[in-house]
Amino acid sequence: MNNIELIILVVLSLGILAYVLGKFNAKLGTVVTILGSFFVLITLGYYGFVMDPQGLDMTSNLFPSITYGFTYLGLFFGVIVAFTFSMVSFFNPFFVDKYKFSAAYSMLYLFSLAGTVGVFFTNDLRFLFFFFELVVWTSLFLIPMGDSKKAASWYYGFSALGSFSLLFAVLLIFKATGNFNVASIGTVDQYNVAIFFLLIIAAFAKLGAFPLHIWLPKVLTNSPDPITALFSGGLEKLGAFVAVLGLVKLAPVGTMISLNGYINMTTASYFIAILGSMTIVFGTLMAIRQDDAKTLLAYSSMSNGGYILVALAMMNSTALAGGLYHVIAHALASTGAFLAIAAVKHYTGTTKMKELGGMIHKMPITYLVYLIAIISMAGIPPMGGFISKWLIFQSVIDKGLIFVAIATFFGSIGSFLYVFRPLAALFLGQELPQHREKTKEAPILMLIPMLIITVLNIYTGVIPNFILGKINLVISELGLSPLELGVTDIVGLNGTLNPALISGMFGIGVAIAFVIFILLKKSKKVGLMDTYTAGNFVYTEALLHYSLDFYAPLERLYEKQINIMSNFYNSVANKVREFGAFMKYFFFSNKPEITVFFIMTIVIFLLWGDVL
Amino acid sequence: MILLGVLVAFGGFVLQTSMGGVNRKIIARLQKRYGPKWYQEFLDIFKLLSKRATSHGWIFDFGVIMALGGIIATAMFMPVSNNIIAFPGYDNFFIFVYLIAVGMLGMAMSASGSGNPLASIGVMRALTTMLAYEVPFMVIVLTIIKLSKSSSLSAIALSQQAGGDFNWFIIALPLGGVVAFISLLGMLGKKPFETYIAPAELASGPMVEYGGKQLGMLFIMHEITVFIEVALFVHLFLGGAENLLIFLVKYFLVYAIANLVSNVFGRFKIDQVVVFFYKWILPLAIIQAVIALYLGWVI
Amino acid sequence: MKSTRFSPVTNLSKEEVDRKWWEIGDFFRRNSLWMLMYCTGCCAIELPPAMTSAYDMERLGMGPMATPRQADVLLVTGYLSLKTLRRIVYTYEQMSEPKYVVGFGSCTINGGIYHDSHAVINQLDQYIPVDSYVAGCMPNTEAVMNGFIDLMDLIKNKKADGWKRYKENNAWYKKNQLDSLVEVNVHDEFHE
Repeated sequence: MNNIELIILVVLSLGILAYVLGKFNAKLGTVVTILGSFFVLITLGYYGFVMDPQGLDMTSNLFPSITYGFTYLGLFFGVIVAFTFSMVSFFNPFFVDKYKFSAAYSMLYLFSLAGTVGVFFTNDLRFLFFFFELVVWTSLFLIPMGDSKKAASWYYGFSALGSFSLLFAVLLIFKATGNFNVASIGTVDQYNVAIFFLLIIAAFAKLGAFPLHIWLPKVLTNSPDPITALFSGGLEKLGAFVAVLGLVKLAPVGTMISLNGYINMTTASYFIAILGSMTIVFGTLMAIRQDDAKTLLAYSSMSNGGYILVALAMMNSTALAGGLYHVIAHALASTGAFLAIAAVKHYTGTTKMKELGGMIHKMPITYLVYLIAIISMAGIPPMGGFISKWLIFQSVIDKGLIFVAIATFFGSIGSFLYVFRPLAALFLGQELPQHREKTKEAPILMLIPMLIITVLNIYTGVIPNFILGKINLVISELGLSPLELGVTDIVGLNGTLNPALISGMFGIGVAIAFVIFILLKKSKKVGLMDTYTAGNFVYTEALLHYSLDFYAPLERLYEKQINIMSNFYNSVANKVREFGAFMKYFFFSNKPEITVFFIMTIVIFLLWGDVL
Repeated sequence: MILLGVLVAFGGFVLQTSMGGVNRKIIARLQKRYGPKWYQEFLDIFKLLSKRATSHGWIFDFGVIMALGGIIATAMFMPVSNNIIAFPGYDNFFIFVYLIAVGMLGMAMSASGSGNPLASIGVMRALTTMLAYEVPFMVIVLTIIKLSKSSSLSAIALSQQAGGDFNWFIIALPLGGVVAFISLLGMLGKKPFETYIAPAELASGPMVEYGGKQLGMLFIMHEITVFIEVALFVHLFLGGAENLLIFLVKYFLVYAIANLVSNVFGRFKIDQVVVFFYKWILPLAIIQAVIALYLGWVI
Repeated sequence: MKSTRFSPVTNLSKEEVDRKWWEIGDFFRRNSLWMLMYCTGCCAIELPPAMTSAYDMERLGMGPMATPRQADVLLVTGYLSLKTLRRIVYTYEQMSEPKYVVGFGSCTINGGIYHDSHAVINQLDQYIPVDSYVAGCMPNTEAVMNGFIDLMDLIKNKKADGWKRYKENNAWYKKNQLDSLVEVNVHDEFHE
């Protein structure tokens, strides 16, 4: 079972089986999705990572025109995305009954999994495009099963732009190198600039980076809850994969900038780094003002996509390692956070923070899952996000990029703000009476994937060197020198980091604090409503719960500038509409004055055509 | 090694608590009154630890433990002088910035878990203030790391000492020194950036529901945090210390000057804090970084 | 000569150990009293001179604190109308133990100049336990400082146990409160 083609075909047929079973009983169809995703994860993980040298078989027997090639890069991304798919699939049985086409849901889920495996492992650029489009179309039909159909049209518009640029890039690569092999991207010597920008546009459209980011919050808020987790943790990594192809595999484009020995980047990479930093800042600022927890985490995904872009644009092995590690850490953290919010929505039916509060008293384990996920997302030790951010900071500082550094630091500190808001407004605070009876701890089938993700979050932060060893294989394959690793340290460009030591000291510190706490007098337990109210007698919980407009003073500073990009895109859409109306008026109407105009033009050309 | 770290943390706590009391006396003498005893802060903390307080649930207690634990862990990494370092080579600058964030996250969690909206408002203001003062500080530290080619605190201190007498970064990067000093005022939570405590406006912000041992542990956390931040400033800008006595002198100077400067100010509103840092301090930091890195003019 | 090496070690009994810890605790508590900034009536005007440069109470270790959970001393400064008494009882119960109450001015002792009013209570001691009083209408600032030092002496001599009296005689205090106030934690603020 180690043949890639066989894996993809098995998943496709399991998808059809899920459709058939789903017609009888929707939950049965989702069980098939769980089995299918786990099948992919186990085969890719075992034959790819655990067996050394890798044992995946790349021959294509049934469809010889689709060739596959093994790259460590593809394996790396493939295992991460398969892991996300399998963890999220546990949530499908609980949510599938609410959707209109529940049988098709399971089928489309498995089809998109097949498409992503195909994208990562194929060696033929035409079939890269084919599998890419398969993913786009299956996820396109998954989105409107949620809350809004208009979000699907935004996704379609931006993905069409991305897919078309990918198609043109594929054709140009064929013109430049003469074949359709993915491995030959590195040997392209003409049309460099055009291929670079076309691939970057495709990557931006899939990652949701500035300026092609408008679809991301709309789609992620309005899609079904498991699909939101899937998008953020899995499908956006397709964009990161295309970005690696464009930024790292392709030869450098443009002249080198070098100021007094600093920067040392090509113009094009510097431009991408600037766009990435604008994504970070924009995503952070928009995330701070959201009231819906899903929109907030969607903007956070956008911001972290910006981090990955900045890291990939640096052309430096430390930065590349940081970017790839950030792909893992962000996938884990974002999936964990979205799954926790989905568990809350399962009981209360809403994710808006102004209607929720005090969930921790009924769902403590979900709270812990969310807490560890956001500690990783904010880049705080001892979780995994700190390591990737540290590596990215090292290379940003080493190149002396001041403005990119400002954006990176701003995004890092700003992420404390927006990840804390659901914690304080949704899980902590007063318990609102309307949700008190309905909420219980999440069911065991939901808890299993959340706990697995939590353990992995902690593992990637405390012992990163195993994964960094695998990332070194990817980096060597891409032609850069691998990262220097000790037994437990990581050697960066201007310092050394020992994550196990930090976690150990953190444990010792907590132990000392705990001992001090235990030795002193026991506290008296009082209820939540018995609190300091300056002598007022308050009996309504909603009056003591602070959740709406959490960062109001900060939001007021920039609230007039938030609509610039969506206004721009709306005006572009208007211009297209006007152009269409113009064409219709001139060429498709039967008004008399148009006919007269055309007769006049033709007569003039016939009479005086040789003079004009 | 670990024992030395715990001793550093404990010594830092004792040092800062005494300095706090001495500074209260200095300010009192400025205001023509006598002021408390120099060990008054110790008495405050031990009195708090001996009271029986109220608690609002497990998250309330757990957050306090996590906050104090994170800060003790951070203090263990701090080098004190050239010879007193618990973990040589591993005292990276970013560890300090982010482990302090763990402490703050723990305190924020337990403050919000108390159910009082004033605590959440205080935490919101504390996070917004952090957003304001961290970015210019990090830009200046970027300059310093590039100029001394290492991000380990003891290496930066050694590189300043190696250049001769008074080859400190506060003189080599004067604008950077000003920016870092104002950021230090923000970090310590001193006026004019004291918005998140705001005793009468927010009923002391995040600390509104604490009493007894939780408040005592938070006070200990605050003292150790002040120790870490002032020691950070001493190592980055004043050249570290060859032995313990010089460290004490430099530490006392920095803390006393910060206290004296902050004593004459009122309190900013929270949006004034953000606008102040982004309008005046961040451009100053950028100018300093551009001058030092791209143009190469370092004194 | 009796050898001292094998003489039995005197073990302190549990009460004595407790008392020693309590004495150390009392040393900390009397040298670092934090008062709640709750200025009930006109006698509160005497607090600013006590806090600032004229009569500096910071040298005694005292200082103002914002919320009842953090404070040790509740200074009831002045007369107490029924509305205020409800809040005083609520605030007193929110403070953490051990806690002390100081009655300022004559109004807390016997009603002062408002002793025949229908809306003011006469004896604070019936409702919450008071540890010491500072007489006067209003007391001189030096008398205020003396009152604080008296409170510190009371703590040293273990006579400041108002909070223990409140717990032991809780039924009597509650009966007095309900007699005068009908309902301590009111539900309808505008018709109380």
